[in-house]
Amino acid sequence: MTPEVVITGRGVVAPAGEGADAFFDALTARHSGIADGVGACVEFDPERWMTPKEARRTDRYAQLAVGAAAQAAEEAGLPDGIEPERLGVVMGTGMGGLSTLERECRNWLEKGDRGVSPHTVPMMMPNAAAGLIAMRLDAHGPGFQIGSACATGAHAIGEAARMIQRGEADVVVAGGAEAPLTGLAIAAFRGMGALSKEGVSRPFDARRDGFVIGEGAGAVVLESADHARARGARVHGRVAGYGASNDAFHITQPDEDGRGAAQAMRDALADAGAAPADVGYLNAHGTSTPFNDRVETIAVHAVFDGAAPPVSSTKSAIGHLLGGAGAVEAVATLGALQHGVLPPTLNYEEPDPECDLDYVPDGPREAGGLELALSNSFGFGGQNACLALAAP
Amino acid sequence: MTPDQTGTAALTEDQVLQRIRATLAEQKVPGAETASAEATWSELDVDSLDLVELVKTLEDEFGVTIHDEELKPIASVGDAVTLVLRLDAERASA
Repeated sequence: MTPEVVITGRGVVAPAGEGADAFFDALTARHSGIADGVGACVEFDPERWMTPKEARRTDRYAQLAVGAAAQAAEEAGLPDGIEPERLGVVMGTGMGGLSTLERECRNWLEKGDRGVSPHTVPMMMPNAAAGLIAMRLDAHGPGFQIGSACATGAHAIGEAARMIQRGEADVVVAGGAEAPLTGLAIAAFRGMGALSKEGVSRPFDARRDGFVIGEGAGAVVLESADHARARGARVHGRVAGYGASNDAFHITQPDEDGRGAAQAMRDALADAGAAPADVGYLNAHGTSTPFNDRVETIAVHAVFDGAAPPVSSTKSAIGHLLGGAGAVEAVATLGALQHGVLPPTLNYEEPDPECDLDYVPDGPREAGGLELALSNSFGFGGQNACLALAAP
Repeated sequence: MTPDQTGTAALTEDQVLQRIRATLAEQKVPGAETASAEATWSELDVDSLDLVELVKTLEDEFGVTIHDEELKPIASVGDAVTLVLRLDAERASA
């Protein structure tokens, strides 16, 4: 029998708050972490999680990842009593150490080869966060990072759950992180027309004009239900199902009819052994781009066939955390299940005829008896992931 | 005092020691400011990447060139001071 995968630790570093509970409280208080057109983690102090020397040698994306993973590990009581060889780390980033890359490019252009720091490679490599987290937790089980752009965090959690189901690890720390608030990255996303000119994240609203870029990280501790029970760990929820798909359509645009997104949702439901009617809430990818929100709505209709659950977008409050988004939003979805409360979609005022679902603009909304929720994440490259999360 | 890089005035032990301490402090190495000459890289938790950074700073600051093979036996702050002083003296007499 396939082992049940439970969540025993949660960690968030997001523009709206640090810590899973504080973050969910901020969402339900309709607090926005977006200021001056970006979602920045202004209160994050890396030296809370690492020595000053480590912080200096670590790119911001990995600092954020370590912060979120350390919170999750602490809540789950890791690594005490865990066999090191059975403890894995699967993290992800869409972009890697961008601020390091940018700074060292400048150094190289200005000063030549000698100007490049010896710390450049370990700081910019996209697997640095998983390595640092493994060192911190003495995790000797499988470890790597996943890259699927804006779906990364969800893929990491889904693949980590599979790892436990296949018996390759008892416990896996999984999540995603991104620190893209650098001049180059912002110029690049702006240059392709992806960012909101207005600097407002208003998913599904008729006036939406692009996403608001943000930084942050999310992490969860996953383990088999038997393992959690045996060590008396508190269970916050379950990864009931996971679906992944490719649009195979365009390198940045979503498939017009939402085929890939719908497939990911259907596969997550099938994996959970659940029917569409069992789903009480859907945490949307909901980027606030004209394309995504229209196509995601089409895909939700295709899966739920006229009976879609309430849908809201966490990105309305924190912006788009790219590789961190899926993991942070999984923790938000878990919060909805734990509290029986649906977080709102902020800034939703003008309905778009092409986006005709219930986006919970009036939230937070009571949702007693909520048992199963989906969290969607769709990445550039056409890569989609959907997590089916369940109450404990 | 700015160290004279033309070779007309020899470096002092204290000058080099202070520069090593300051560089390690910039690298956020714990205890760098008060590190004694006897302190080893291992005691200071200075790894190979820290050392590469330190060597580049010392080369730029004192106008010497430290080759990899010269660096191998260097295991402490004092070893590094001695090496820089020797290279400086060799350069001055060249």
